[in-house]
Amino acid sequence: MISAGIDIGSITAKCVILQDHKILAYRILKVKPDLEESAKEIFEETLKLSGLKREEIDRIVATGYGRARVDFADKKITEITCHAIGATFLIPEARTVIDIGGQDSKVIAVENGKVLDFVMNDKCAAGTGRFIEVMANALGLKIEQVGELALKAKEKLKISSTCTVFAESEVVSYISAGRKVEEIIAGVCDAIAGRLMAMVARVGVRREVVLTGGVAKNMGVRRAIEEKLGFQVIVPEEPQIVGALGAAVLGTK
Amino acid sequence: MEKFFKFSKFFEVVKVGYLCNYTPKEIIHSAGFLPFRVFATDKPIERASAFIQSYSCSQARGALECALQDDFFAFVFTRSCDTLMRLTDIFEFVGKRVHNIEFPTKIGNVEYYVKELKDFVKVLESWGGEVSFERLMESLKLYRELEEKLKKLFSISPDYETAIKVQQIDVRSAIKLVDEKLKFAKKEEKPKVLITGSVCPYIKVYDLFKEAGFSLKDDICTGSRFFEFSYPEFEPKDLESALRYIAEKYFYRAPCPTKHYPGDGRFNYVLKLAEDCDAVVFLLVKFCEPHFFDYPQLKEKLEKMGKKVALIELEFPVVSLEQIRTRIEALKEVIE
Repeated sequence: MISAGIDIGSITAKCVILQDHKILAYRILKVKPDLEESAKEIFEETLKLSGLKREEIDRIVATGYGRARVDFADKKITEITCHAIGATFLIPEARTVIDIGGQDSKVIAVENGKVLDFVMNDKCAAGTGRFIEVMANALGLKIEQVGELALKAKEKLKISSTCTVFAESEVVSYISAGRKVEEIIAGVCDAIAGRLMAMVARVGVRREVVLTGGVAKNMGVRRAIEEKLGFQVIVPEEPQIVGALGAAVLGTK
Repeated sequence: MEKFFKFSKFFEVVKVGYLCNYTPKEIIHSAGFLPFRVFATDKPIERASAFIQSYSCSQARGALECALQDDFFAFVFTRSCDTLMRLTDIFEFVGKRVHNIEFPTKIGNVEYYVKELKDFVKVLESWGGEVSFERLMESLKLYRELEEKLKKLFSISPDYETAIKVQQIDVRSAIKLVDEKLKFAKKEEKPKVLITGSVCPYIKVYDLFKEAGFSLKDDICTGSRFFEFSYPEFEPKDLESALRYIAEKYFYRAPCPTKHYPGDGRFNYVLKLAEDCDAVVFLLVKFCEPHFFDYPQLKEKLEKMGKKVALIELEFPVVSLEQIRTRIEALKEVIE
């Protein structure tokens, strides 16, 4: 059985092709305003990487906020279920999944591959990838530099505003005060972790905790989360494809 | 004021706006006015922001926006949440004709509330209306007919568009509308979700539940809390006893968290409703304190019953429908 999982997120489109519990290929692309076109493009490119033909794919499952736009999918499943399934597929001991995406973040309680409970932040950019993007822009940094730079900081500055716009003002104010960029960005990572902890508290935290989504690649955020939790979290090798992987796994069932 | 009333072509078009479900619509109707429930609309909240803080709920802000732009003769408030109480002051401040009925917070003292209703009758008369025993009984009869028919419709297939529409048209037209809907209503066997919360005048939100494959049951101020009443058993003989009938009818209606009911009445009501449901969704308007205060305890009790519980926060006008869809679909996947 060969299945494809397509995750159309707010910033990136991801696709995973899976055969008998083995990942054959995956791809991540920037999403375009035309979500249908993005879905076709990511699927075709992943297909090319796998060396398979369209007719060899038995099932396609779409997820992510753009799932409804993937007309050629056999099934559409929410990213909440897909992240839970994908994380459990990679780390069977996973009991809590923290997914930090570009537009929203979620905390999911899982057991035996089933979602027990979830909370989702989608009303504001605080605690999402967009928050880091805005702050990185204000500091003139590339998004890839943020995590590494944050780890170099000896001190974390406090970003107290929940609102991204006001938090950006705080960052600008720290720049004007001549504070070090790494200290500011470490504060930004800490602020994201702080927002997530409120959601974690609502669901309840059980180990192992798996961090997924694009922001999981950011070492600064990861460290800040671990500091607040008091233990290490598990980050899959490619955390950004966990939702698409979960969709592909569900496609095999 | 009287001039305005006399020169109106039809009684029905003299709109008296109200926001709270505890408002005795029957008295307003019997006086010759059209009781018109005011909701937040699809329009962005602009002018109202000059008079009300952004931390007030969007139903209050949206209603003020509506009041500033629409043609109402007067507004009737009943004591419920703090925000509505302050909204009374704001409506007066912006020059609206307003009457506030002091509906008791602690349910029980009928005598007091009958006096309050007598004062309300005088106010309606001062506005040019005319309340007689016969007319009040006719209005009571019409609203009861509407309520019974809505109960029947919702027991077959909840229709929130109709439930909202009937709150903004004359009761006779409302009965005809529900009669029409009853002709085509069909029961569906699907996983059932109880939605509980304050107001939700956005039909698309209910559609999302249906599209996800849920059938609905509700404890919503714009849904069944509009028509769920326990009617007094006595037959009114005069105007005073008709007012007593209304007082008791509204005391023993579907409970709302702004009131104190003896013996945990509100919680027991919601828990009872949840019994035959597969999941419960708290559909709460941001900053709706009475509902949010109850949420943690009620959630805990529902979870003890083995119900899956989700919280969806609303802000009017609702714009992030797809995010709400994800939550609802995820809940469906969880219970499957």
